[in-house]
Amino acid sequence: MSADTAHMTDYKFKLSNNRLGLWLFILSDSFVFGGLLVTRYYLLGGHRPELDQMLGLIVTSVLLQSSFFMNRAETAIAHGDRQNFIVSTAITMILGIGFLVGVIGFEWRTAPFGPSDGAAGSVFYMMTGMHAFHVLTGVLFLFVVLRNGLRGRYSAERHWAVEACANYWHFVDVVWIFFYPALYLLGTPAG
Amino acid sequence: MDKNKGAAYTQGLITLVVLAVLTGAEYGIAVALPSLWVALIVIALIKAAIVIQFFMHIARVFREEGGHS
Repeated sequence: MSADTAHMTDYKFKLSNNRLGLWLFILSDSFVFGGLLVTRYYLLGGHRPELDQMLGLIVTSVLLQSSFFMNRAETAIAHGDRQNFIVSTAITMILGIGFLVGVIGFEWRTAPFGPSDGAAGSVFYMMTGMHAFHVLTGVLFLFVVLRNGLRGRYSAERHWAVEACANYWHFVDVVWIFFYPALYLLGTPAG
Repeated sequence: MDKNKGAAYTQGLITLVVLAVLTGAEYGIAVALPSLWVALIVIALIKAAIVIQFFMHIARVFREEGGHS
């Protein structure tokens, strides 16, 4: 067995372990968000925070599109399409920042309540704050991947960091898939 | 563009369209028929399943060999 083949076999073995580790992390992290969702339904029941539903739809669309471009970036590097990988990763990052601006910059500023104004305020700021923190860490992860990508550190055969970043980013999207109806759509506005 | 790459890009695009349609349906139901809260939960579950299957590729975890493709 040549040195290259041995390294590749070693890499593939590590890759399957890394995947399992990442999914266990995602599972453990999902319990945090599950707890927040339970808190929302326990405290607010059939009511929801009084929020701008259109703004909620816009930020949701932005995050959805970011997931598409993240998937495109991963597909591109898996097929050795480096240019498309760089462009798609950069677009994902920009959309992630756009989501943060929408939630923190607009929603937090325009919401007619503060974090201490009752259960609706506490639930809303805790849920969106915890999620936004994950989006922020995802953006930082994307920045690292983009920087390494520009230096040519990933190939079609070796790009675990890109796969991990993509899975983390999609996980953040999955969390928002449940948070969006819980905060913006379900129930009547809490007066 | 090779055939596999084209198919993978197309699958990503189809997934995005389906998710966008479901998100629009969610919004429409919430605005027009707010009493149909069960539908919103079902749609959220479907959307999550789609992302986990087609974007996160959960099946890769259960594969014996450790390649990327």
